[in-house]
Amino acid sequence: MTRPSDRQINSDLIRPLLHTSWRFYLLVLFFGGIVLTAIGTWFYQAYSGYGVTGIKWPVFWGFYITSFVFWIGISHAGTLISAILRLVQAEWRRPVTRCAEVITVFALMIGALFPIAHLGRPWLFFWLAPYPSERLIWPNFRSPLVWDFFAINTYLTGSVLFLLLPMIPDFAVIRDKSTGLRRRIYGALSMGWRGTPKQWHRLETAMSIMAVVILPVAVSVHTIVSFDFSMAPVPMWQSTIFGPYFVAGAIFSGIAGLIIAMAFLRKFLHLEAYLLPVHFENLGKLMLVMAVLWGYFVFNERLVTYYGNEPAEMAVFWRTQRESFAPLYWTMVVCNFVLPVILMGIKYTRKTITGCVIASLGVVVGMWLERFLIIVPSLGHKYLPYAYGIYRPRVLEVVIAGATFAAIVLLYVLFAKVVPIISMWELKTPEHEPGHGDQAPEVQALREVQP
Amino acid sequence: MPRWGMAADLDRCTGCGACVTACHAENNISTVGPYQAMRGRAKHWIRVERYWEGEFPDVRLKFRPVMCQQCGNAPCEPVCPTYASQHTEDGLNAQVYNRCIGTRYCANACPYTVRFFDFFNPEWDKPLHLQLNPDVSLREVGVMEKCTFCVQRIKAATIQAKADETELKDGDIKPACVQSCPAQALVFGDLNDPESAVSRLSESPRGSKLLEDLGTHPAVTYLSRQTQV
Amino acid sequence: MDRRSFIKLTAVSGTTAALASCGNPENQLVRFVPDEDIVPGQATWKPGVCPLCASGCGLTVRVMDADKDVVRDGQAGVVTIYAAKKLEGSTDHPVNHGGLCTRGQASIQVTYHPDRITQPLKRSGARGEAKYDPISWDDAVTELVGRLDALVSAGNQRALALLGQARTGHRALVVQQFLQRFGAPAPVRWEIFGDDLLRRANALSFGRAQLPTFDLANARFALSFGADFLGTWNSPVSQSHGYGAMRQGRAGIRGAFVQVEARMSQTGANADRWVPVRPGTDGVLALGLAHLLMAAKVGAPDAAGRAGALIEGWSAGLPAYTPDAVEKLTGVAAAKVERLAREMAEQRPGLAMIGGPALAHTNGLFSALAVNALNALLGSVDQPGGLSFTPQFNVAAAAKAAGPAPDAGASLEELAAGILAGGAGAPQVLMIDGANPVFAAPKAWRVRDALENVPYIVSFGSFLDETSALADLILPDHSFLESWAENVPESGSAVAVATVAPPAMAPLHQTRATVDVLLDVGRRLQTPLNLPWESMEALLGITFATLPPSTEGGDAWSEAQEKGGWWGALPAALVAAPSGAASASTVAPASGFAPAAFVEPQFDGDPAQYPMHLLPYASTTFYDGSAAHLPWLQEMPDPLTSAMWSSWVEVNPTTATKLGIRDGDLVDVTSAHGTLQSTAVLTPGIAPDIVAMPMGQGHTQFTRYATGRGENPASLLAPLTEATTGALAWAATRVKIARAGDPDGRLVLFAGGKNEEGRHGPGEEHR
Repeated sequence: MTRPSDRQINSDLIRPLLHTSWRFYLLVLFFGGIVLTAIGTWFYQAYSGYGVTGIKWPVFWGFYITSFVFWIGISHAGTLISAILRLVQAEWRRPVTRCAEVITVFALMIGALFPIAHLGRPWLFFWLAPYPSERLIWPNFRSPLVWDFFAINTYLTGSVLFLLLPMIPDFAVIRDKSTGLRRRIYGALSMGWRGTPKQWHRLETAMSIMAVVILPVAVSVHTIVSFDFSMAPVPMWQSTIFGPYFVAGAIFSGIAGLIIAMAFLRKFLHLEAYLLPVHFENLGKLMLVMAVLWGYFVFNERLVTYYGNEPAEMAVFWRTQRESFAPLYWTMVVCNFVLPVILMGIKYTRKTITGCVIASLGVVVGMWLERFLIIVPSLGHKYLPYAYGIYRPRVLEVVIAGATFAAIVLLYVLFAKVVPIISMWELKTPEHEPGHGDQAPEVQALREVQP
Repeated sequence: MPRWGMAADLDRCTGCGACVTACHAENNISTVGPYQAMRGRAKHWIRVERYWEGEFPDVRLKFRPVMCQQCGNAPCEPVCPTYASQHTEDGLNAQVYNRCIGTRYCANACPYTVRFFDFFNPEWDKPLHLQLNPDVSLREVGVMEKCTFCVQRIKAATIQAKADETELKDGDIKPACVQSCPAQALVFGDLNDPESAVSRLSESPRGSKLLEDLGTHPAVTYLSRQTQV
Repeated sequence: MDRRSFIKLTAVSGTTAALASCGNPENQLVRFVPDEDIVPGQATWKPGVCPLCASGCGLTVRVMDADKDVVRDGQAGVVTIYAAKKLEGSTDHPVNHGGLCTRGQASIQVTYHPDRITQPLKRSGARGEAKYDPISWDDAVTELVGRLDALVSAGNQRALALLGQARTGHRALVVQQFLQRFGAPAPVRWEIFGDDLLRRANALSFGRAQLPTFDLANARFALSFGADFLGTWNSPVSQSHGYGAMRQGRAGIRGAFVQVEARMSQTGANADRWVPVRPGTDGVLALGLAHLLMAAKVGAPDAAGRAGALIEGWSAGLPAYTPDAVEKLTGVAAAKVERLAREMAEQRPGLAMIGGPALAHTNGLFSALAVNALNALLGSVDQPGGLSFTPQFNVAAAAKAAGPAPDAGASLEELAAGILAGGAGAPQVLMIDGANPVFAAPKAWRVRDALENVPYIVSFGSFLDETSALADLILPDHSFLESWAENVPESGSAVAVATVAPPAMAPLHQTRATVDVLLDVGRRLQTPLNLPWESMEALLGITFATLPPSTEGGDAWSEAQEKGGWWGALPAALVAAPSGAASASTVAPASGFAPAAFVEPQFDGDPAQYPMHLLPYASTTFYDGSAAHLPWLQEMPDPLTSAMWSSWVEVNPTTATKLGIRDGDLVDVTSAHGTLQSTAVLTPGIAPDIVAMPMGQGHTQFTRYATGRGENPASLLAPLTEATTGALAWAATRVKIARAGDPDGRLVLFAGGKNEEGRHGPGEEHR
């Protein structure tokens, strides 16, 4: 079939906003229930004392920090997909950008909750902010946690902008198609967009600037998150490789998250015409590259540790390689390396959406395990053997950490209800993008896909 | 300006644990109870580590009392976002409970694992609370705590000396653990005073620092246990 | 919120979050006028005496103001009182020299214990139900007086019995005088880890029925047979002080220390060399060393005097104890024995100690005599760097009371048997003063059954424990900080010591000092006992006044109250005569005592069925269980296992592998007398055929902190005793162990790893 007409695009992508099925309510109720349970559980923790978790001496970080790093990692999906792909002018990104940017924003928001959730005195979280306090001190700018505060806030601001800006033309389309209250709301949101060439030009310029600016921010954010670990003299944390290792892992997990999100959207919102197997295949190729890169970083880190043979490090090394954490470790390796390399390496599986989704699910699990395996084995096995310890998470931590997945689904579902999940104007773009004479092969393919 | 330090003579230490209980008594450390102790919440600001070597019948057991080393280059200080862990002029690592929001980063960064967290509000079955030392703050849930070299005793002695217009002599100030040790294995004093007992002991050829290669510059010198026969 | 409000808030409401702190109810509490002038925030230091063991370490007690909850006229409020805050060792005290052990530090919790008995109680339920009703002191004393008067009227004064701890000093004098004037038998003294056997050996060897004092600070070699002298045995703080000086107190000189035992104790961990030995054969090793020393002409046989003459074959140079013979009997390689003898010969002065498990055998007396002979041979008796006997202040003479009866009281075994046998002589009224035999004695002695058969039991203790819960009347004593405390240490000091301390604070509850109660009862009997002292304070004043003051014309009593005691050179008239006839110079053995020879120790239980030996050892934290009720001690990690709030069974790893037991598994330990289930802890410091359990847990009744916690190894003990003294051979029980299941979380460990190098050792990740 030829590329869906503009009108078709509009109606397909606005339909979810206008028509609500019972499935929507069911999803919201279900995931909303989980999220509310988790919030209630957290308030129980804040009220009763942090001791209701499984944290103990000497393992003082556990599920919450794992979730924190994991979600900040996932958040690299959007920005890097849409920013990088925009900059290298990969046209196939068009249907994918908003999905990705939404993941970024929501994952960031969820991740940013954890530095508050894991505090011993969470009601004082605002002391991390640099305001002229009555205590007459600023936050300690030498602390990586304060860097986290700045980095995440900057990234969040940037990502929100990066998400909101391209939503403006779509809001205008919806405004034009709706009446009454809806018209007024979307009217306000579209900020008087008329689609004039000048406005398009301004939008494109702004997007280009954001794309360039968001890249270093994204790289620095997860580097700074990695500094939470590498700045402490803990065996196997004090490694210079942590910065790039974490950033690569973040992009990796982000792509996987994006593939899963896209697969579900495609199915539930009937976007088969827009999210094509070729998109999944391209993302799959990216994931293959990242899997290999991940494997390289892990191999590098492990080999160097092994050759260094420093006793405290080797103790942690063996703990993960062949002792108590070995099952989790090798599961991680299979999920993060073996599975994606095989599935995404073989053309047949890469070309199927199912194959991509399976590989992505494995990566999500594997990346979560990777964060866990960085934190817990090291903390339980530092320098003085008398102070070794074993961490066992409690139900409450599992609930709160697990509910984050429900939270992102919930947020996604709600978002898709109010904003078209695929950027409509970008789909139609070849007519609008200035100087865009010959189309890229992917767009050509888009025009020629059979229904 | 003094720089406080300690020397722990492992040849004198008998592993009896008097220091552990003395510290609890002096510093209002709450007893967490069997269930919480099982879950790893016991707070022993000073602990006597023990390590087995060998197999029966050639067995050796080593004791080593470990408390906050009051590092000169403390890894716990740069990482605290709210300056709750900071260095004082007289060489102590101060834990300011009121600033602590409980990120527990300092505990991770501490290679000696000497920092403890208050997982719950402390409780004392009455009238055990009558024993509490009024010179030491109680810690609320969610803050970190650790050995302070009995800073309340240091402060009290310093203030008293100033009020009396006298000089502090070596041995005037003794943290609870130092005072209680039956074998006199622990010595406390001013490292900036070359004549003090702790200064002389820290120069001993038997002396070394714990985890010295990490570069933390601890203020505690361990005098190694000797062997003969 | 200010600090004081916070203290109150947390103490009252426990885990209230900071969020719920509005509307502070504390501000509505009534503050009553204090009973005495309190200066807030100002600490004073007062003398004290630690009561938790017989060492009697001198204390200084920090006393400050505190707010106590009271109810007056039905109104709840607070009143400021002076409260003891911290105990420190008294710097000048000759026993502890400023140090204080972990139990001593925790002893302050006795005063403030939430489960302390706060007033006299009368039994209301069935015996053993531990149901009591409060009664007034008047009624309580009247009732006791009535009971005693009944005995007198029936002419049955001998039916009064008292069961207490082995203590010397003023309290012991009052108790002994009370019983003697009443016409009752001498008190029965019971402690499971009592050292009566060693006292008897010392009486035989040196003419002193007394525990020895060791001058470790001047010794060059210390050899200990099983004695946990740095943890629980004899006078641990004094010995630790000496030990520290022995090691590093003399420039260029370091004393060596060898420990001989089958299970590495906290003390043994500090040894330069640890020598495992077969149970009950320590005496053989000692004589093996003596044999070699005599052969090397280090000392002539008769240099050991009477102590040597008590050993069969001594004068011939102990031909039966060649290194090979010793190796066969003890399991210690002959080469090791020779090396040890050589070291002892070269490093003088040296001394030998024996105590604990080494004496807890049926042949314990032999072992003690052997070590005494070794010491005598080394010339260490009454010499610097050797052993001596603390001159004893003769309290009875100073109080102008007739001394204790020549024969000591019956043993616990005899008492229980006598009660169960019934008959005219059986006790009708039993007083309990600080002993807990229902917990700590072998079940075979049927102490509980015996007590059930006593018509009337009175307890003076501050806590309900297994024994005092059988009492009909409870007359709770003050805690040691609330009353006149004193101690005349039997050992641990080179000079005579009489420790005394006035009350450091006013009593928290409606308790009364037991000595004062006894004196009161004595006055109120129909036939008053005419004990010449009005109160404990009066008695102390009389005895201390006889002591020489430090300055001419001074007053020893007021000095002692300020200093916390009297110590120094005792005038001859005030020195208690050493019991144990004949002087040490007589070569012939005491009459009626044949020279001792090694006899194989007897063990209870068929070796085929019960292949292991059980060693219930005195725990550093709980001692014999009498300190298990103090929460600081429950939470203090055990020095060797780091266990808290738990009990456990120590097993050798090779044995464990053979039996399929992994670290932390549940095991059943069974003797011919009982069985228990506990958690196995694999440790290399124990012989393969020994299992060890700390004594002290497994209370069925002992405050909220100790009740129902852990297992009591006393429940397995066989009633084997040493023939001459009747001392319980508590290391002579055979047991078998078997795996019972997976770890169930009852063992709480503080530590993670056990080894420093080779971090992949067994039991690494057990928690």
